[in-house]
Amino acid sequence: MNHKSIHNDLIFYLDNELSVEKRTAVEKHLEECADCRSFLAFLQDGMQVIEKEKNPEVSPFFYTRLSARLEEKEESQVQNQWVQLVQPVFFSLLLVAGIYGGLKLGSNASSPKSDQHVTSSIQMLNDFDAEPVESFLLDEL
Amino acid sequence: MDEAQLIKGIQQGDRKSFQILVETYQPMVVNTCLGIVHNQADAEDLAQDVFLEIFRTAEKFRGDSKLSTWLYRIATNRSLNLIRNNKRKRFFQSIEETFTGGRNRSSEISENRADQPDQNMADQQRSDLLHRAIDRLPEKQRIAFTLNKYEELPYQQIAEIMEISLASVESLIHRAKKNLQEQLLDCYKKKCV
Repeated sequence: MNHKSIHNDLIFYLDNELSVEKRTAVEKHLEECADCRSFLAFLQDGMQVIEKEKNPEVSPFFYTRLSARLEEKEESQVQNQWVQLVQPVFFSLLLVAGIYGGLKLGSNASSPKSDQHVTSSIQMLNDFDAEPVESFLLDEL
Repeated sequence: MDEAQLIKGIQQGDRKSFQILVETYQPMVVNTCLGIVHNQADAEDLAQDVFLEIFRTAEKFRGDSKLSTWLYRIATNRSLNLIRNNKRKRFFQSIEETFTGGRNRSSEISENRADQPDQNMADQQRSDLLHRAIDRLPEKQRIAFTLNKYEELPYQQIAEIMEISLASVESLIHRAKKNLQEQLLDCYKKKCV
């Protein structure tokens, strides 16, 4: 067996996943090859990280924190339910008020009474009838 | 209290059942998340999200699969989502760094190092190396490998969690190990640790 094939098999050798023949061949090569032994140790150290990391100690306040988050969520859900109920009612009322206001304005604008009111206000602004521009200029002189 | 009773209780909104479920499965869920995200605080936050999702969607659980299978599925999906979001953030951060001169990144690295002050440098380098190698694995290989190595699950259960065939799991784990070995060999040759 050469270095390359040994290097390809070492991770499976560590996990005891090689056939008996292959395992024997790898062990024989390892006895003779310092470089492959060194890589095996490197690989073993690397994979040991997993063993060290496994089953970490979890915070004793895990459930307390979770419970607080759950309550927070429930509260916001209740609030959202209220918003979901109130929002359509509010916008419907706003729409009805808008339509009513529009109708009211429209009926005022089309009535003859209001036409008369507008004409008289225009007449009041038109001062030419009461004081022609010529007499005004003559007064200035 | 067995699984069915536990789920029935949670479906009815019973907090005691929920507490029992959390206390029973909390180490398993945190360990699974940790195997994927490699950060204790993130793993605990993810585990909390997993349990909140269980409480919220308990009605949908029909009992076709084991409760643990459901938990593993949610835990792995959420962990992968976090990694994807972090990748996206890092991408935008790198763009930002080109304008700010990399000040933000250096402060983040020093914060991460401060999380584990008692670990010696060699251990830290070794663990960084393995984490980087695992992170470079394709998602499916990473999940299969993590469930097998961190949770010591048999291939059959991994197949159920990932909803793939037993042969696919065998192939995924074999390829994951080969990929890891290649990356570690590369590092060994370059003497990066």
